[in-house]
This record gives sequence, C-alpha cells and structure tokens, in this order.
Amino acid sequence: MLLPRFSYHQPASVAEALEVLGQHGDQAAIIAGGTDLLVNMKHGKLAPRHLVGLEGIDGLEEIGADNGSLVVGPRLTASALAASGELSGAAQALALGAASLGSPQVRNRATVGGNVCTARPAADMCVPLLVLGAKALLAGPDGPRELPLDEFFLGPGQTAKKPGELLTGLSLPRPAEGSGAGYEKLGLRKALEIALVNVAAAIWLEPDGKTIKQAKVALGAVAPVPMLSPGAEAALTGQTAGEEAFAQAAEAAATDAKPISDHRGSAQYRREVVQVLTRRALGQAWQAALGQ
Amino acid sequence: MGGDYTVVGSRARRLDGPEKVTGKAVYLDDMQFKGMLHGAILQSPHAHARIKSIDTSAAEALPGVKAVLTAGNVPDTKYGVSPARYDENILAIDRVRYVGDEVAAVAAVDLETAHQALELIKVEYEPLPFVLDIDQATAEGAPQLHQEYLGNLTAEVHQEFGEVARGFAESDLIRTDTFVNKRQDGGFIEPPRSVAVHDLSGNLTLYSSTQVPHYVQRTIAMLTGLSVGKVRVVKPYVGGGFGPKASASPCDILSSLLSMKTGRPVKIAMSREQVFLHCRARHQFKHVMKTGYTKDGIIKALEHTCYLEGGAYSSFGIATVYYAGSLLAAPYRLPHMKYDGYRVYTNKPACGAQRGHGGVAARACFEQQMDLVAEELGMDPIELRLKNIMETGDVSCNDLSMSSLGMKECLEAVQGGSDWNAKKGKLPPGKGIGMAAGFFVSGAGYPIYRSETFHCTVTIKVQEDGGTVLVKTAAAEIGQGSDTTMAMIAAEAIGIPLEAVRLVSGDTDYGIDLGAYSSRTTLMTGHATREAGEQVKEMILTALAGELGVERERLDIKDGVVEIKGEAVDFGPLRTKYLKEHRGWGGMPSGDKLTFTEAARMAYLKLGTIVGTGKYKPPVLGGKFKGAAVGTSPAYGCSAQVAEVTVDLETGQVTVDNITDAHDCGQAINLTSVEAQMEGSVSMGLGEAMFEEVKFDDQGRVLNPSLGEYHIPTVLDMPRMRCIVVESGEPNGPFGAKEVGEGAIMPTIPAILNAVHDATGVTITELPITPERVLMALKQKKRDE
Repeated sequence: MLLPRFSYHQPASVAEALEVLGQHGDQAAIIAGGTDLLVNMKHGKLAPRHLVGLEGIDGLEEIGADNGSLVVGPRLTASALAASGELSGAAQALALGAASLGSPQVRNRATVGGNVCTARPAADMCVPLLVLGAKALLAGPDGPRELPLDEFFLGPGQTAKKPGELLTGLSLPRPAEGSGAGYEKLGLRKALEIALVNVAAAIWLEPDGKTIKQAKVALGAVAPVPMLSPGAEAALTGQTAGEEAFAQAAEAAATDAKPISDHRGSAQYRREVVQVLTRRALGQAWQAALGQ
Repeated sequence: MGGDYTVVGSRARRLDGPEKVTGKAVYLDDMQFKGMLHGAILQSPHAHARIKSIDTSAAEALPGVKAVLTAGNVPDTKYGVSPARYDENILAIDRVRYVGDEVAAVAAVDLETAHQALELIKVEYEPLPFVLDIDQATAEGAPQLHQEYLGNLTAEVHQEFGEVARGFAESDLIRTDTFVNKRQDGGFIEPPRSVAVHDLSGNLTLYSSTQVPHYVQRTIAMLTGLSVGKVRVVKPYVGGGFGPKASASPCDILSSLLSMKTGRPVKIAMSREQVFLHCRARHQFKHVMKTGYTKDGIIKALEHTCYLEGGAYSSFGIATVYYAGSLLAAPYRLPHMKYDGYRVYTNKPACGAQRGHGGVAARACFEQQMDLVAEELGMDPIELRLKNIMETGDVSCNDLSMSSLGMKECLEAVQGGSDWNAKKGKLPPGKGIGMAAGFFVSGAGYPIYRSETFHCTVTIKVQEDGGTVLVKTAAAEIGQGSDTTMAMIAAEAIGIPLEAVRLVSGDTDYGIDLGAYSSRTTLMTGHATREAGEQVKEMILTALAGELGVERERLDIKDGVVEIKGEAVDFGPLRTKYLKEHRGWGGMPSGDKLTFTEAARMAYLKLGTIVGTGKYKPPVLGGKFKGAAVGTSPAYGCSAQVAEVTVDLETGQVTVDNITDAHDCGQAINLTSVEAQMEGSVSMGLGEAMFEEVKFDDQGRVLNPSLGEYHIPTVLDMPRMRCIVVESGEPNGPFGAKEVGEGAIMPTIPAILNAVHDATGVTITELPITPERVLMALKQKKRDE
C-alpha cells in the first residue's frame, strides 16, 4: 500500500517532455491529477520508474481556439470543465460528463487528458467527447498527429497513443447555434460512482428548429471502450426531433451496445438501460438545442 | 417528559468537537514513539490451503527487519470472542481458512522494509477444496473448516416459546416469506491500528483504535501470558467502530507480541483492503418466517428459521445466531415463537457484530411480511402494528421485560410527522410511502465472558481547588458522543455546569468498562457516572452542613450554586476564607449565594481530596433456557420510521426522498447527539438497503475491497430527515435514559422496502435494492398480470 520508488521529472515544454519520455520508454508514465495512476501504483498494479509531471508546461490548462475548433487542454480538471462557460451548445456534453465524475475532491484533481488516456469503458468525460467528434492531438518523436477519439480507444485502459507520445489537446468543433447536449448516468449512488451505463447525446438542428441536421449518441460501460452508436445516428439524421425519433434511436443504440454481465450488473439489464437513457439524453439535448 | 434538568436534555456542544473539526484531535496514526518499529502482516492468498512450509530466513536477513513471527514462535493459545468458541490462532497453524487469514508478521525500521520483508517470506501452500456459501458448506461430504465443529456449524439454536402449533391453529391467515440480506462491511472511517509499547518494567501499553479496551486487555493478557494488571489498553480518538472493532484485532495481538520480542514500540495499521479481508461485520442472513395472524390482525405465532453465512471463524457468531431469533419477540405481543438458527462456517472472512447485532435482517423480514399481511387483511399498516404492540410492563414470550416502551408514541409520531394518512394509498405510480417499527437492547445483560464483574466503574475526583471535577471512565468514545454524555450526566448529578467538568476516558487504568457495543454506554456507564457524581455531591454537602451548622437536608447544589432551604444562613466566614486564599485574583465569587467552588474547596480543606466512585451491573435478567442471556437488557429502546421513495419505473432506480423517524430513548441526555445517532442509523440502514454488498469471486477473493467499489451512502444519497425524539422515561436508566445507537437502524430497511412496494406493487426480498433487481421484479410482475 506504499508507493513504489520513482524519479519525478518536470519538463518545461512539450519538447522536453518528449525527450524524457523517449529516454525512459515504457518505464515512464505521465502524471496529471494522479487519481488513477497513484491508486494503481499503491496497489502494485503499475510500477513506473519515472513519472513525468506536466505542470511545468504552459498552455495545457486552457481552452483555446484553432481554425473553427476548440482545443481543450489536457490538464484541465473536471471541476474547471464542469464550470467552463466556453462549452456551450453541443460542447456542453463535456461539462455535463465532467460534473458527474467522482466527488468534488476527485473532480478538483482529475483531468480530461487523464480521463481520455486511462480509457475506461465508463469514463465520464470520454463518452461525451465521442459525441462531439473530438480528436486527440498527439505530440511524438515523429511530429504531431491527430486521431479521432473513436479510433483512439482500443480496449479497457488501452489507447492508440504510443509510449513516447504525449496528448497535448482535444480538438472539438466550435459550439454551433441550435445545438445541444444531454448526459445520463445510472449508478447506484449519486456521487463517487462508476456508471453502470452512461449515455451522452448531441443534437444539431437545422435552422427550422425541428429537423435534425446531425445527432450523435455515445455509450459507456457497454463495450470494452466508450463507443459511438452508428445506429442511433442513422436513425436520427434528417428526422424530425421528438419522442418518436428518439425512441427509434434508443432502440438502435440498445442494438449497437455490446454489454457483458459482471458483478455490477447483467448484460440484459444494461441493454434495457441503454435504451431508456438514450431516449432521455436525446430529450435533454433537444431541449438544450432549442435553448430551453 | 422527564425531570427538571439543567444540563440533561440540552443541546450541549460536544467536548471533542473543537479538536475534531480543527484537525487537532490525536488519532492513532498521529502517535509517534521513540524507536518505533512498523509491523506488517502476511495474509493467505488461498481460501483454504495446507501450509507445507514457511521459510522466513530471507526476510530475517533483510537489513532493518527486527522480528519475524509465524505460528512456530508465537503461543498456540486459541482465542476468539466468546470463550465457548475460541477457534482462532494468532497466526495460522498448518492451515489457512480464508483469503486474508494471518500467516506471518514482521517488524522493521520502516513500513517499506516491513513490506519488502513480507515478500521475502516463502510459504508453500497445498490448496484444499473450499466452501463459499451455505449450500456448499452444509452439503454432504463438504470440506470441513474446523475438526471441533463438524458439519461446518459454529452453532445451532432450537427454541420454542409457548405452543406454536396452537398459535397456528388459532390463526386465520398464515404467510411464509423469505428474506436475504448481504454481507456488509463496517465502513468506518479509520481502519483498525495499534501501537504496542512493552517497557523495561515488563508492562505492556497498547494504544488501539478499538471499541472495547477492556476485552482487548483480557485477550492480550491471555495471549501474551502477562497478568491483566500489567496490560494497559488506551484508546485515543477513534474513527468509528459499528461492531467490527468490538474484539481484539490482529493489529492489537501482533503488535503486542512484536513489541515484546523486540523491546521497541511497534505499530501495525490495516489498509482499507485489509478491513474488508478482516471483516467481522454484518453476516449474510437468510430468513424464512411463517407467521399466523387472526382475521382481526392479531399475531398468533411465528415459526422462524435462519441461516447465517459466517466465514471462517466464530467471532461474535454465537451471539449473532441467538440475537437473530430472540429480538423478534418484541415489540409486538407474540405468544408463540419457534426459532431454529444455524451459523455456518465458510472459507471467507469471519463475520461478527454490526449495528443492530443479529436483528436487522430479521426485523426487515418480519416488518415486510407484516405489511403484506396488512395488505391481505385490507388494514392500514400502522393500525395493524398498533393492534399488536407491547406496552410498558409487558414481558415477551422469551422473558424480555419492557420496563418502558414508547412504541405507540413512536408510531403516532411518524404517522402525524409524515402526514401518513394523506399519503398512504393516494400517491401516483412510482411514488411510495412505507413504514416499519423496531426495538433493541439498551446494553447486553451479560458480559461476553461469564462473570459477575461490574460492567463499568467510574471515578469522579473533585479538583482540590474546588472549581472543577474530573471524571475518569474507561468507556470508549468512538465518535458516538459518550464523553460528552458522561460529562453531562456528571454535571447534572453534582449540580454544576458542564463547563466545570473535565473528563478522561478510554483507558483501562481508569476502571472497568465493557466498551462501546450493544448500545450500553449511556445507560450503564451513565448509571456509574451518576452514582459517582451523587457521592461527590453528598460528601461536599455533608461537610458543608457541618461547617455551616445546618441540616444536610436543607442543602442542594444547582447550576454551580449552593441552595439553602429555609431561613438565611451566614456563610460570610467561609467566603472570607476563600477570598483570602485568592488575594489578587479576578473572577472571585460574589453575590448572595455560596458557590459550588467555595463549598468544594471547604470540603477538601476538611476531608482531603474528594473522590466519588460509581459502578453498575444489571440485575439478574432473563429466563432459564439455553441462550436466555442473549437479548436480555435492563431496558429496550424502540423506534418507528416512515420512508417516502420515488421509483424510476423505467430503470428501477429507487430514490429515498424523506424519512420521518421517531425513537424512544427514554430521556435524551444530549438532544443533538440523539438526533445524530438517528441520522447515522438511517444512513447505515439506507446503505444496507440500497447499495452495500461485499462481493467475492469464485476463489473467495473480495471483489470490491475499497470504498470506491463498496458503496456506502454519500451525503447526496441521504433523504431529508425529520427526527422526533420520544421520551418514555426509563426507570432502569440514569435520568430515565436508554439507547439510541443501534435500535434506530431497525426500521430503516423494511420502511424503504415497504415504500418501494407501495410505489410499484413489487416485493423485493433480497438486498440490496439495486435498480436491476427492481426493474426485473417489475418485468416479472407485468408478465404475471
């Protein structure tokens, strides 16, 4: 239950960070909030010899704009994102997910970059990021690259980020008029809870305020990775927003879900809940898109 | 209700409040000793295995390691909780019986070295077949845990009171229902830990995060061979106990032995994971109850069978299996009751006592069934209960005597307080209201070991300056507020303000106190404290009567001032003497009344140090049948609760919106503490009802050994609460007081279950009430319709 010994590095720039990561390879781990890493180290599940802290690098803790995109800094905490005024419209999904993570103490430490790189199937910030079409911005020895988030998650705790790479940001489309988000989470208790099922939804309406221009639904805890529901998206695009369309999308989402049974709940129940929560999250997103 | 009290019944600020909220309170982890070593315990990774060999040589050779203990170099004395079932070894001898069984212990210069040393101990195990549930454990040819207790039975109980067959013959409605709860964790904030200091005079002082310094002292003396007088157990501030800390822990025992071996202080602390592995918390109970009622709703007979899944050792299990039966005999008149109880060994951590010991799941089953009976009879659940409740003076079929019982007052209080009549049967789908009642002992009638010992002794010394008194009690303040309660009782008994009382507690050097369990402290230690206080008051007033030349009967002390009945008495010389002693001091007594301070100083000058002593043990209680002692108590608290819930009919998720809670505590000593106990009980009951379950994999390993994955309620999960304190005035209690610590948990689970039934029409008979369980039941109901 004690932390194993390690060296701590505090690079002052992304370049320096990459150098340290390159030096130590798989012996190095990046630390931001430490809410997962330190717990796993105390339990002996991980024993990196080198921890690389990012607090010395400027610019990783803000929301910036870039060519019609928002760039969310990876060191932003769940608390900061939950309270951010810049995440309006569909982007509100991220704020809603961040607000439901852990407890106030955990939210003050846990970062969005950590949440994404830890890649848990029920991660409260990953599921919303998927409906926003977020891209992971990675810096590495071979230069920067971008990866859509649904290609970034490979399995529980596994991502496409290589050991020498660093997540420098998450790029989202700029909030658009007539868009809104919803987030639904089912757990046993109201805080400090890993979702049994969580669902994020985002809707972009046509100027008529009725027709769905685009909609995305993402599901958590029902597959090895947080996942988008293509069936739900197809069921919604071009449809008139409302209960009927949402019910069809919910059914499609339940079909797309690939839950398993474990000690937290059965696959059958999770599938049922996906349907209910999808319908509710879409209703919430629609209301938000209408500015209500 | 109650008398004309000055301190008792008030909302006094807790004595420990300022230290705790400022973080200055000293808990065990804050304690440092010169040369202190750190201990660690090696635990079995197997649910059941033979130990073929242990090689400690590499661990002993590691620099910084000062001692390594295994079964080979510690006494083979068996111990446990009840002397009738001492079935534990200090360290495993030849065999481990659960994942977590203690195999070896080390002491080293720091914790890191101690952990390294554990990794260097080579244990060769031969895995054995194991049993993880009651069915496996009781199957023919099942692997046996203890050769002394074959059939994997720790204990079985067979009791019949009255004639059950006759009771059923007189019944019009007979229902049989089953109920299953889940193994719980205590969920206290502070995991068990200890520091043992064996000094050069051969005395052992053990600082321990315990509920029961006295029992720990006895166990340590028994296992170390030291005389009881040479073992001192001191309890610093403790972060909760709830039952699992009511016996000596491996930290206590192994730190003591390691300190004796090394001659240095040794600290051992459990991690949160080890708390789950050690357990000693609530058993899993399976109840089957067949109950007969007349068509008018009068209970005639109960035939009850209970199986307890107990884990690898007995711990409190014998008492638990008795409590699971005996506590159903009240608070309703039940003329005929049959009980068959079985406490079964399994290859899992041992279960023990937890808040509402043995009675919580039984109460849930009985009260849930009562609501189903009410439904069948077309009767309001409160009306059904009012028809059956016992009253003050009633004695149960198993000889439990209700010296006070405000059950009717509690039921009426929650009926009115929740606006029951306007809501019951009138809420929309998905909204429900339910209620339940319960009762509990106010202190176990007998100690855990057979003895005529006093259950507590208290000393009150009047400080020689006369201004303050010092209460010394070995009672265990573990967060429940007993320090403040005892100080208040002392102040009331002497007639002085609370600020004039200092108190020290939780140290076996201060006397006998059986500890914080069975909701005993307020009544029992309260009696002893009151007696000591009254003795002090008597000594001072007798001395004062002599000094002033008046009859003793004319004198009294109230709120720190001496009251003299009848014509005025000149106490001028006494005051002058006091003022002369304090020439140049501020804040001296003035006015036309003699102060307690002056009177007490005068008494000291006459008699020397004034010391009062108090003691308490209950009178002989209970019947003559086997197991009659379990359930006896000098008094019983009782309670009723109404729960209001919202059920999400699409997901099955239940939210408890409101709980109206009435509890008869006899007389509140500290009203705020009484309410806090009620709220704490509801929180714990709500957790057990809604979330809590220690889960195991198929190898007997705990799946959720952390407070992240084992869900206890957060503040956001708590309902709005309305607490109504009922004061029936208990003749056997100090100032009329009795328990609130455990009885208040009894109605919570069934009240929530009954509210869920009201909201949905489904009956959940297995805890916890997870969304999945509720949704599946809703679907089943739809299919049945």
